[in-house]
Amino acid sequence: MFNVCADPSTLTEFFWVICYLTTAKHFAFYVSFFVVLVLLAIAAPLSLLFGFIATIGTRSSNWFIQIFSKSYINMVRGIPDVVFFLFVPLALDQFFELIRHKIICFDVVEPIWQGTDFVVCKAAKLPLSTADLWVHQLYAFTLALIAFAIVFGAFAGNVLSGAMRSVSKTQTETGAAFGFTQKQIFWRILVPQMWIYAIPGLSNLWMLLIKATPLLFLLGVEDIVYWARELGGSKTSMYAYPHPDWRVYYFAGLLVFYLLMTWASSKVLKRLQIKLSKGQATMAGKELQGY
Amino acid sequence: MDIIENSPILEVRNLKKNYDKLSVLKDISFSAYAGSVISFIGSSGSGKSTLLRCCNLLEIPQAGEIIFKGEAVSWTNKTDSRQLSDKKQIIKFRTNLSMVFQSFNLWSHLSILDNVIEAPVTVLRKDRHIMRDVAYSLLEKVGIADKADAWPAQLSGGQQQRAAIARALAMEPDALLFDEPTSALDPELEQEVVKVIKDLASEGRTMLLVTHDMQLARDLSDRVYFLHQGIVEEEGHPDSLFGKPKSNRLKQFLSAAAS
Repeated sequence: MFNVCADPSTLTEFFWVICYLTTAKHFAFYVSFFVVLVLLAIAAPLSLLFGFIATIGTRSSNWFIQIFSKSYINMVRGIPDVVFFLFVPLALDQFFELIRHKIICFDVVEPIWQGTDFVVCKAAKLPLSTADLWVHQLYAFTLALIAFAIVFGAFAGNVLSGAMRSVSKTQTETGAAFGFTQKQIFWRILVPQMWIYAIPGLSNLWMLLIKATPLLFLLGVEDIVYWARELGGSKTSMYAYPHPDWRVYYFAGLLVFYLLMTWASSKVLKRLQIKLSKGQATMAGKELQGY
Repeated sequence: MDIIENSPILEVRNLKKNYDKLSVLKDISFSAYAGSVISFIGSSGSGKSTLLRCCNLLEIPQAGEIIFKGEAVSWTNKTDSRQLSDKKQIIKFRTNLSMVFQSFNLWSHLSILDNVIEAPVTVLRKDRHIMRDVAYSLLEKVGIADKADAWPAQLSGGQQQRAAIARALAMEPDALLFDEPTSALDPELEQEVVKVIKDLASEGRTMLLVTHDMQLARDLSDRVYFLHQGIVEEEGHPDSLFGKPKSNRLKQFLSAAAS
């Protein structure tokens, strides 16, 4: 990074630390924090969207959509996260490659399933083996993102349908009495009123989502856990910056990161709860009004 | 002009309504003419609230006709479990017959002003800015213009009910349906709502009033219906109905209400 760092073995302690913390690998470590934040920033709204769509689905008059939405919400919640995270990206990956194989390599006669091996032609690979590293990383990240959204979407769907059921029937019925259509009742009354009931469940989910981000590691995304283990492990004199086993410090750093995330989240969620409770005839709302 | 005055705004013929085996309305008929106030009295469970909810199509009667300005409700063909068949008609009925509920039912996520604006803007596609001014003047009329920006939960019951009346008026309905508007209020708050209802009656508005308040029914009504176990036990002008009740049921009811 810096010119002084050219020969680490000659450095004084202070510069050694500076140079050590600014190696290319450490930058990859810092970037991985950003990756986690990006994952959270995209996965959370995406999950909420999946959940919302599933909730609408469970209320559909179409028999197929209703069954599909209900089984999505109920089945996905029951499967262990780890299993699901290993399954979904793999399944999606093979599915995409299969389709590409059928289209691009339609002239290939060898079967795709050779024993237990899944073999598609080179041109159907995703990403192509010639693609840059970042394309591979982005692809893995995207598959992981989809897996997160599917899993947490099911939980969000459950929270949202519970919240909708909590909205008083007199509120929606009054809408009907004034000539609202079912659609207007849904969007103008049910959806605005459900959030206050959904927030506790959703904030719980958000915390679980934060906690679940190290699962990225399972999917081959070089996340903060990967790098903490990689960088913290003892380095012999073969390395430029030899050091004993420092993993405990690295993991302690992660601990602090996750605690900070939790702390910041609870602050934001509390403000949100207060904002939504304002003027409401709920316990929290009455408290705000000083009853 | 004569035709309009002589044809009822709302007409109900031989209405029957039951929940499973419980028969709530057995055979009810009445007509509400423009500018008249009709009251329904009777003990709890006599079916008077259900009757009002049927008029607004919130409940579906198994038999009988509901006719609004000469237009009868259209039903699906199935006779034993018929449903409303014309969505546009439902909206037409509901936007012209505005309900005021016993427990106010203001939308809790909207300010008082927005509660008044909401239905005209959403259902009648009125302009929001114009409706703001209309809503303010309606809130002024019911005496709570200073509460326009408050939340429903911050108001007293009497204020909430007056806001609910303003909300109903904002629809510019042909008739107002009051479902025990003062029953959830203590006597002091009751009077402020009674005053508003009396003002509306003196304006010549068509109103259907389900109430426990005998004085209110007597003061306002052009015609009073006494319901007992799902049938009209007695009906007539308030002076004769309250002054010289004929049936024993009504005599019993009135003496119980007076004590």
